[in-house]
Amino acid sequence: MELGPLLIFKELLKLFSPIILFHVFWSTFIGMIIGMLPGLTATMGIALLTGLTFGMEPRMAIVILICVYVGAITGGSRSAILLNIPGTPANAAACLDGFPLAQRGEGGQAIGLAATASFIGTVFGLFCMAFFTPLLGKIALEFHSWEFFWLAIFGIVICGNLTAPTDPLKGWIAGFFGLLVSLVGMEGITAYARFSFGFDQMKGGFALIPVLVGVYGIAEVLGGMREVVLPKVRSKVGRIIPRARDLINHYRHILRSGVVGVIVGAIPGVGEDVASWVSYDFAKRSSKQPEKFGKGSLEGLIAAETGDNACIGGAIIPVLSLAVPGSAPAAVLLAAMWLHGVRPGPLLMLEFPHYIWEVTAMMIMASFASLVISLSFVRAQVKILLIPRPVLMPIVFVLCVIGSYAINVRVFDIWVMLAFGVIGYAMRNYNYPAAPLVLGVILGDMADVNMRRALIRTAGDVSSFFIRPISLILIILIILTMISRTKMFKRIMSLVKVKVKKIFGKQR
Amino acid sequence: MEYQFRRQDFYTGLIIIGVSLFIMMESWRMPRHLQDWPAYAAPGMVTGILGLGLLTMGIILTLRSVRRQGSPLPFKRADIVAYLTDPKTRRLGLMFALSLIYCLFLGRRIPYILVTSIYLALVMITFRGTGPVKALIISLMVAIGVAIVFNRLFLVPLP
Repeated sequence: MELGPLLIFKELLKLFSPIILFHVFWSTFIGMIIGMLPGLTATMGIALLTGLTFGMEPRMAIVILICVYVGAITGGSRSAILLNIPGTPANAAACLDGFPLAQRGEGGQAIGLAATASFIGTVFGLFCMAFFTPLLGKIALEFHSWEFFWLAIFGIVICGNLTAPTDPLKGWIAGFFGLLVSLVGMEGITAYARFSFGFDQMKGGFALIPVLVGVYGIAEVLGGMREVVLPKVRSKVGRIIPRARDLINHYRHILRSGVVGVIVGAIPGVGEDVASWVSYDFAKRSSKQPEKFGKGSLEGLIAAETGDNACIGGAIIPVLSLAVPGSAPAAVLLAAMWLHGVRPGPLLMLEFPHYIWEVTAMMIMASFASLVISLSFVRAQVKILLIPRPVLMPIVFVLCVIGSYAINVRVFDIWVMLAFGVIGYAMRNYNYPAAPLVLGVILGDMADVNMRRALIRTAGDVSSFFIRPISLILIILIILTMISRTKMFKRIMSLVKVKVKKIFGKQR
Repeated sequence: MEYQFRRQDFYTGLIIIGVSLFIMMESWRMPRHLQDWPAYAAPGMVTGILGLGLLTMGIILTLRSVRRQGSPLPFKRADIVAYLTDPKTRRLGLMFALSLIYCLFLGRRIPYILVTSIYLALVMITFRGTGPVKALIISLMVAIGVAIVFNRLFLVPLP
């Protein structure tokens, strides 16, 4: 049996061709620009490029999408540092310390450090991905219809809980709505067209990409055009290459944020923004100088940027092993893999055993390209930040339209995209997170088919849903996730904490 | 902390209740023994359960908004006028209207490049993104670029 690193190296060698290198560099560059421009997110970028790469050879298309993903998350720190506006939601935490650094005239150093921390985070995440995906894949082979049903519900519940921190109920509503959206059209067991109301186009259901482009892209275009002005870049860039000692001195933060990023990434639907905030919070709690956080702390910037990039690898772990996305951009990546004939999930290791190593090799290339571009074209990239929104947003709208249309060559998809754009915009204004909706659209079919299939297998006996060990674990996790935000649970937990402290205090 | 979504939560809650009742009703009306499959394999089974879940959450949302802040504020004429005359709302409405018209023209017999470049130039000029000449040049370049990439490179017929 060959070792993982050797297999990754072999895949890397296979990818080393001038044409792939060319695609790696332009797509990472485009990804960085998408990430940099406030209003364009990684999810939207991947969704747009999915349409653009539709006609390409599958391997080439997935390389491009992974590069856009890595590039966008890395690039988002540019505008966070220079404009105090996060390029993507994942870079919001980078604003807190990046912008004060830029105001002090250390914008270049902040950009260099953020880029290097992002690179380290991505590499950490991808190695975790290469190591844990096969392990999780083995566990996933034990999953049957009952477990897949509960997994889908767990994904929605935890995603709703974590992406709507102030009001999880709205996250769950968005998730349930997403599940229902995915069930429109012909279903997989009896081929009955649900909620089609006699329209032939509706019988095919809503395609994933138009829904995604609508919720993320169109909502962003409408929101972006509603605002009147965009602040200008004030900071000088200065020295960009980071000092080695700045990185070595903060190795603890880098390592911790890497672990946090991977764990948060592996939780269904949660994503880079949560990873970045959690990493930042952990770094602040453990810092010797917490008072410097928010005033230009290098520790804070490094932690936030390592965390969100490590999340990329973490988010791809459940994509490959369970076909459940760990973040919104990973959801689009999963959809793109389906489009290109790859079937991620428990059988991936049996059907395409080398695919994990191939994806790891692609991510290595993306992370190196991202580092090189980050550190070398800063001044050129900063100029792109000055493109006015009224010029950029209509172009994005045109790309959204053509991207949604190109997947199935149906004008109906353009209307689906527009309708979900309006829904996405309203959701954003009323504090409903979009990620659970997207996750619901992805997991809806899994929940539906597996629940009914499980009932058929047991001739209508529902007890199997509750007595199988993995199902039971998932049910407990669902209940804990749901009650963890209630006041009563918090009160009980604080009482338990006090009692435990008392017991251990007495023993001492 | 002030409860921000007093009015919105109440009305969205009512909308969710309405939608979920409709979903449950439609699910109930779906065939229950299609192709001799048992009732528990019926196509409306999962949609009905999800509808029930959504209904529960809609009720909680509505009741919670009432419990937190009392009866919801009614929509007053002055509020609606203030919202509609807000420059931000106007910009949003204009962008949406232009985009809707653009989508309406797609898929008809008018060439894609023409429709797209007119739409782009119109938005850029209306929202004062750039001067008319520059807007026209950018619009034409983008429209031709998109058409070439999708139509010639990926062989996708344009809408």
